[in-house]
Amino acid sequence: MTKRTLEFAAAGLLLTALVVGLTVPPDAVQGDFQRIMYAHVPSAWLAYLAFGITMIGSIAYLVTSKLRWDRLAGASAEVGVVFTGLALATGMIWGKPVWGVWWTWDARLVLTAAMFFVYLAYLALRRGIDGLERRAKRSALFGIVAALQIPIVHFSVVWWRGLHQPPTILRPDDPQIDGPLLFALLMGVFAFTVVYAALVRRRMDLALIEDSLVEASRAGEDVAGAAVTAPSVGAKPR
Amino acid sequence: MSDWGWVAFAYLVVYGSLGGYVASLVFRIRRARAEADRG
Repeated sequence: MTKRTLEFAAAGLLLTALVVGLTVPPDAVQGDFQRIMYAHVPSAWLAYLAFGITMIGSIAYLVTSKLRWDRLAGASAEVGVVFTGLALATGMIWGKPVWGVWWTWDARLVLTAAMFFVYLAYLALRRGIDGLERRAKRSALFGIVAALQIPIVHFSVVWWRGLHQPPTILRPDDPQIDGPLLFALLMGVFAFTVVYAALVRRRMDLALIEDSLVEASRAGEDVAGAAVTAPSVGAKPR
Repeated sequence: MSDWGWVAFAYLVVYGSLGGYVASLVFRIRRARAEADRG
């Protein structure tokens, strides 16, 4: 699939998800507030997926030493941070009218916020290391260790009793959601996943150009350094 | 704020942020390409 096709598909699906999310029947208990979940849950799912891909890219780089995997890891982390931020923001917007507070120190909320800041640190680390190989190796180690949070964040609602509801769909017994509402939720998940794929492809394009600029800059420094330090062939020793 | 007001606020944040991120990617790619072309 070409990039353009993927991007048009992403835009179309995003629009469809918006229409479906705003037109399905309201929830029997929460009413229209439930519609916020059709953006919140997909954002949270994308956070898991994006950081999981960062881990896979990190492992693949350490195994193959190919920078393409490092670029995938970095691109996925950046897009994942965007979606994690959206999950936190939509959760707060939903929480204010339903729970009565913007924020509470619930395990799921705190761990998701921690995950957000850990991956911000990952992105900062990538910007702070000179040398593509050195950057790739160190951020790969960070990316693998940071991914240990993903199952902890997901199962936090099972392991600790808090205000956040337990899993609705990914649970051992039947999904506790009505058909049309489940469709709206899955539509959002599918649309956001395609959007994620389109964004990561573009971000990897940018990473490729940035890496080539770094290499060109390093090559330029080497040539300049050689001109200053290396004795010319015809020079007489003093 | 009404129920629909909260819903609209949430969707505005989500779609606005995604649009902003897409715009930032477009500008960053354009700037990086221009820098690469300058050599």
